[in-house]
Amino acid sequence: MELSLKDISVTLSGEEILKSIDLTIEDGAIISLLGASGCGKSTLLKTIAGIITPSGGSVFLNGSCADNLPPHRRGTVIVFQDLRLFPHMTVADNISFPLKMRGVSKEQCRKTAVELLEKVQLEGYGERKINEMSGGQLQRVALARALAAKPNVLLLDEPFSSLDENLRQDMRKLVLKLQKEYRITTILVTHDRQEALCMSDRIALMKSGKILQYDTPERIYHAPASREVADFFSENAYIDGTVTDHAFTCDIAAFRTEMPDGPYQAVLRPGAVRIGPWDGKRDFQVTEISYRGEDYGISLKDQTNGLVLNTSVPSPCMFKVGDLVSVQLDQEKIILLPR
Amino acid sequence: MKKWQPYLLLSPLILLGLLFLLGVGNALVQSLGYIPAFNMKEITLKYYRQVFNEPALFASVKVSLVIAAVSSVLAAVFGVVLCAALTANGRVRNKVLQIVRIPILVPHTIAALFIIMFFSQNGLLARILFHMGTLGSQADFPAILFTTNNIGIIMAYLWKEIPFVAYFVLALMSSINATLGEAAENLGAPGIKSFLHITLPLCMPAVNKAFLIIFAFSFGAYELPFLLGATIPKALPVQAYIEYINPDLRHRAYAMAMNGVMLLITLAISAVYYWLSRRTYDKGGNRFGS
Ligand SMILES: Nc1ncnc2c1ncn2[C@@H]1O[C@H](COP(=O)(O)OP(=O)(O)O)[C@@H](O)[C@H]1O
Ligand SMILES: [Mg+2]
Repeated sequence: MELSLKDISVTLSGEEILKSIDLTIEDGAIISLLGASGCGKSTLLKTIAGIITPSGGSVFLNGSCADNLPPHRRGTVIVFQDLRLFPHMTVADNISFPLKMRGVSKEQCRKTAVELLEKVQLEGYGERKINEMSGGQLQRVALARALAAKPNVLLLDEPFSSLDENLRQDMRKLVLKLQKEYRITTILVTHDRQEALCMSDRIALMKSGKILQYDTPERIYHAPASREVADFFSENAYIDGTVTDHAFTCDIAAFRTEMPDGPYQAVLRPGAVRIGPWDGKRDFQVTEISYRGEDYGISLKDQTNGLVLNTSVPSPCMFKVGDLVSVQLDQEKIILLPR
Repeated sequence: MKKWQPYLLLSPLILLGLLFLLGVGNALVQSLGYIPAFNMKEITLKYYRQVFNEPALFASVKVSLVIAAVSSVLAAVFGVVLCAALTANGRVRNKVLQIVRIPILVPHTIAALFIIMFFSQNGLLARILFHMGTLGSQADFPAILFTTNNIGIIMAYLWKEIPFVAYFVLALMSSINATLGEAAENLGAPGIKSFLHITLPLCMPAVNKAFLIIFAFSFGAYELPFLLGATIPKALPVQAYIEYINPDLRHRAYAMAMNGVMLLITLAISAVYYWLSRRTYDKGGNRFGS
């Protein structure tokens, strides 16, 4: 089902938490709401689900306004961050709860519970109590229960944040598989940029109750709309410069570009910065080296103007703090933002 | 935290508990006929036999049980309803809560005076109805005080205990409603179903505790039946009090035996109730908030 938010604002305890949110998710797509903790992601999910009434704007489901639908009739099912499984029921009863609420027969409830338990790889766990399950298992029970409600829109609130890394990978795969299988329109809330990049058709990047950019993972990474967006994905350096006659020039670089004339800011991602060549002008000093497994993160400081660049070198690292090096910029990877 | 620290912090409570147990123990010893001060030194069950042979005893026990059972069951039911109403209306809650708190703070004797003022046959209500012409005479107002139907006593208990139950359960109910209740509605349960299937069952441990407290209290408390009850049969605590103030001090053992009976009945009922509620809540998953 297509979900569309038009100019949604939310005020809680006199404080404006969400500011004029517009967002459309096409039927069957999965998008991420990405943003730092406290930026209003959970609030947005609750507003979509009708738990919080917005102070302005409307929610549309398949083009029709859902503002007057009470929460239990919206079909916008949340898997809560704290799961909220019912502790006085068995795993199977938890899963079939949404069916029971619709008056589905006991026999059918049982059958569906068994089916869904299989889908989330928990065959045979139906009669367990909730407090007899591990964190990863509970996560899957919550997912199965949400699926049992046959959601129009599935809202996942940081579903993997409490799991350890291996389980997290498994759960991501499982969610993606089920999402594709049932073709459920899905919003995944996360503060993990990697998770957002690898799981979603589109990413809505949020900050302080606003959506900064809503775009495909590739575009949001390679064509950030603003410095704030670019900053969310990497530790960048910025240099002011200008474009004249299809050429960008700044203190440390000059290259051709198709951008129209005007003042710009060049975004230097770690990937756009390379150390070398050996015979180049050695005006950068190594100020910090951090080991990251695959490679080393290195901070460099321009001796003349104090500009700090970040980059990485493969392991083993032949530099040490204090070394003087020259720097090359990969023009293809430099992003120009209008100033 | 040092090992003895918790005990130090608990010491006032332990001290009070000891005093209480000392009192109960003393009463039990006296009920067995051992009161050296009055030169009674022989341990005997004689007084209990006397109590049980007293035909008025069973009438008294019945009166007390009926008052306690009816008022506690009704208070639990309406207390939960009040609590649910407070939980559902988050905004007005804090204002209403101030009003709800009043009956809890007002002593039982004052509650009894209110009841007499409003509901006796020459009370406010009877007069108003008489002057409005609804009643032919004030005596037509139904007798609910000082009679064997005990409606006045039960009403006074309800006035105090409904708010108590609501207050006792409110914190747990609000927190369950805001999390699991919200989840249930999100999964397609209308408010009332979410309440009946999720919030209420998970609040039952607190409701049970509140019930036990008010039941034990109304079974053993003496003010309301004393002030509002019939002359005969008297509620058990009233009877025990009358025996206690008997000028013959050697009669005290008999009074204490009556208290012993009261204690036994309370304990027995609590045990049964506890056992019943445990059985119900161990069937599902773990118990919430208790
Ligand atoms: N009921 C509430 N009343 C007032 N402020 C709230 C309430 N709920 C959340 N907030 C505030 O709204 C902001 C966004 O919260 P939330 O949506 O939970 O953020 P996120 O899920 O992105 O971490 C936070 O600053 C939080 O303090
Ligand atoms: Mg959140």
